[in-house]
Amino acid sequence: MIKLKNVTKSFSQFSAIKSTSLTIHKGEIYGIIGASGAGKSTLLRLMNLLEIPDNGEVEVNGQCLTEMTSKQLRHARQSIGMIFQHFNLVANKSVYDNVAVPLEIAKFPKQKLRNRVVECLQFVGLESLQDKYPAELSGGQKQRVAIARALANQPQVLLCDEPTSSLDPNTTAEILGVLENINKRLGVTIVIVSHEMEVIKSICNRVSVMAEGECYDTLSVEPSGIQHLNSSPQWFVTQLTKAGDDDA
Amino acid sequence: MTMPEILVQYQAEIWQAIVETFIMVGVSILAAVLIGLPVGTLLFLSRKGNILENRIIFSSLNLVVNIIRSFPFLLLVVFLIPFTRLIIGTAIGTAAATVPLSIIAIAHYSRLVEQSLLDIPKGVLEAAISMGASVKGIIIKFLYVEARSGLVLGLTTSIISFISYSTIMGVVGGGGIGDFAIRYGYQQFKTDLMVYMIIIMVILVQFIQFTGTTVSRLIDKR
Repeated sequence: MIKLKNVTKSFSQFSAIKSTSLTIHKGEIYGIIGASGAGKSTLLRLMNLLEIPDNGEVEVNGQCLTEMTSKQLRHARQSIGMIFQHFNLVANKSVYDNVAVPLEIAKFPKQKLRNRVVECLQFVGLESLQDKYPAELSGGQKQRVAIARALANQPQVLLCDEPTSSLDPNTTAEILGVLENINKRLGVTIVIVSHEMEVIKSICNRVSVMAEGECYDTLSVEPSGIQHLNSSPQWFVTQLTKAGDDDA
Repeated sequence: MTMPEILVQYQAEIWQAIVETFIMVGVSILAAVLIGLPVGTLLFLSRKGNILENRIIFSSLNLVVNIIRSFPFLLLVVFLIPFTRLIIGTAIGTAAATVPLSIIAIAHYSRLVEQSLLDIPKGVLEAAISMGASVKGIIIKFLYVEARSGLVLGLTTSIISFISYSTIMGVVGGGGIGDFAIRYGYQQFKTDLMVYMIIIMVILVQFIQFTGTTVSRLIDKR
């Protein structure tokens, strides 16, 4: 589904990605983990040419992005969804309008647009908030809007750049649940970059570990399932009083 | 309350001065929006690291805008006389006055547009690019939507500057409230008339600022 062939990327003198190749299969939930500055976000951003590689090829869905004209690339990007750590919603657009934008860009038929937007919002469970603005939403809700927006054009691939890194553990679990659902129900291939081991372990089938701009190792793993934390006050008290026994 | 006698006496001239001010400021606003907005957008987009990065376009636009803005405005008016004559056919009168006013309006507003666009979080632009938006789509559906309250506030500030600039257009026979206040109030020692003109300008500026602030607040959902 996604193939990177010997891609390299440097920013002025700093070499962010050193000749890396990897293949992500259709239907996978693929994790990329590593320390800060290891190049994991850059690697992800190469997959939709948000960063243009200095060398090498990027192939998504059988199409070679690195050989495309800018018009073809724009078209190809419409079927590659992306979500971000800071959501990147348009703050001056309502939830509904945020989800409608990618459809307008892809020239989705106007008479079907409303249905499609509502369908996407239903998928993430936010159809009741369609007239709200992002500033009125919680972090988890914002990320769900971003997911609905990324799904609007029925992408084959969803790229997730630290999707849960500014969310609390419960909301993280909730967002991971949505991502898993997208993968299972819609068959969308998902790539997740995260520095949180729990996130990667819980839903990924295959994981690449990045270090210093290189792929240190790639392994197949059995997803451990999403940990739903107890958020009752007593749970917090228990955790605090037994501190030291085990680090949950 | 009756109108002060002096205002009644000069009613016709005052109305004409007000109309002249509105013409000069109105044309400046049009120039600012129709040309200054695109120029400011291009300044933003052609800057290093942005989607239309182009050093030549950015540096030349940047230089021209800076040069225009470094002229003392009175000198700009004089300097542009040959150009004004070329466009309007004469360098004297209200129509001629709109030429230097429009030039400064474009330079002034384009800079404020650029500043408002620079305030947009970079991530919003990335989201736009990642969903395959064209340059036009990015500008209309993202940049102008996200920066709209700044664009309105910038225009408000600009309009108030245009009113101020328009007051010296008397030097090329442009007329307007400022010119009227100077000719009658200052040069003919009718201080009360001058004060009334200043009051009109204060009311005008208050009204514009109030409208601009209110509109920008209403459209800001951030």
